[in-house]
Amino acid sequence: MAQITSFDRRRVNGPDDSFPPIFSDEDQPGSSSSSPLQRESRKPKDIRPIFLQTGLITQANGSAYIETGNSKVVCAVYGPRQAKNTSYSEKGKLNVEVKFAPFASQRRKVPNRYLQDAEDRSLAVLIHQAIVPSVRLELFPKSSMDVFLTVIENDGIQSCGTAGTIAASAALADAGIEMLGLVVSCAGSVMSNGEIWLDPTTRELEHSRASLTLSCMPALGLITNVSQTGQVTPQEAIQCMDACEERCSDIHMVVASALHKNQSAL
Amino acid sequence: MNQDDNILLPGQPVTIPNGAAPDLGGGLYLKDGVIRASLVGKLSRVGNTLTIPRPRPHPPAPESVVLGSVIRLSPLQAVISITVVDGIPLPQGEDFTGVIRVNDVRATEKDKVKLGECFRGGDVVRGIVLSLGDSRSYYVSTARNDLGVIFATSEAGATMDPVSWQEMRCPKTGKLEKRKCAKPDGL
Repeated sequence: MAQITSFDRRRVNGPDDSFPPIFSDEDQPGSSSSSPLQRESRKPKDIRPIFLQTGLITQANGSAYIETGNSKVVCAVYGPRQAKNTSYSEKGKLNVEVKFAPFASQRRKVPNRYLQDAEDRSLAVLIHQAIVPSVRLELFPKSSMDVFLTVIENDGIQSCGTAGTIAASAALADAGIEMLGLVVSCAGSVMSNGEIWLDPTTRELEHSRASLTLSCMPALGLITNVSQTGQVTPQEAIQCMDACEERCSDIHMVVASALHKNQSAL
Repeated sequence: MNQDDNILLPGQPVTIPNGAAPDLGGGLYLKDGVIRASLVGKLSRVGNTLTIPRPRPHPPAPESVVLGSVIRLSPLQAVISITVVDGIPLPQGEDFTGVIRVNDVRATEKDKVKLGECFRGGDVVRGIVLSLGDSRSYYVSTARNDLGVIFATSEAGATMDPVSWQEMRCPKTGKLEKRKCAKPDGL
């Protein structure tokens, strides 16, 4: 019965399996599916309010902290600095690294500073694809920009991706790195009854059959990344993309006012 | 926004005051006929050039004046660790590597240069970036009157004063040591 799990002999490892505590009947996963599928506390096309502040991490060249609902992500940008590997490149490199805190999700992750698992890495690739078209890499030859994201609380994996993209773009602007425009991101999910709900939480994602994340630069009207998982018809996908794009201009105003506030406070 | 509307954001179009098209400096770019900002900041005009100034540390570019300290010497080149670029110090631990080749030390008698008589380990050198160099280092030159060693310690351990463009004197022992000195400001 005992599994010998010697991840790290020098530390006290937590139990292999961990489950979130159950407080009352309402938190049982089965109970929410019995109620009719209706979004509580906001309309399907509303997103959760965003709190964004830059410049909180003084050691980094640029930083941003974002909260949407319960999701909390912090981003730090270092660079441009000399690229670690020795190959010469005319353009700079943008490295994105994501790390989930062990207490971020419902299930505890084994804390290992250097190992990134699949979830960390796929989110990093997504955020990289979303922001790299906006950064003027040709101005930083031989240099690299390192973006480090830490997810403090995860309430909806899509919202971590969108919050991470917004935080990364705001942190790059805070670091004084030249960009073509600010990148903002919005996620939507197609529920089992065909409705499109924007900015889904973990609980709402349990009833969805597909999710779509869209990243764009509203200032230029260009889309940088679309990523979709699950089963959708093309019409639903296009509807979802349109809904996300509309919301993105609202999010852009939030980011703009946060950067304004920080710059005038300088 | 009720705050300062002069602060531009990346992607925001810039309205040029008069009809003549100005030159674009750092922090602005032109796309599809529209000039947009690429940094967060206020627009500033220097002569006929529009720019958004960026007081943040940035990597060396050709024609940047850099300060660095000599970390390695060989008969052919001196390797410096660049710590200040265009007057802005780089963050701790994020320095760039520069190389001063033997024929970039002086403007005259380039082939008769002995690197041991121009630099020593630990000297702080002001140079100008020639080019991006290779994958590991930038190419730096000190071939100008105001470039070269600006601070050096003598063998006895005291800070030396420059006597001429070739020599520095130690105040403790009075001995002269050979360096390629930079001309001090104000002379």
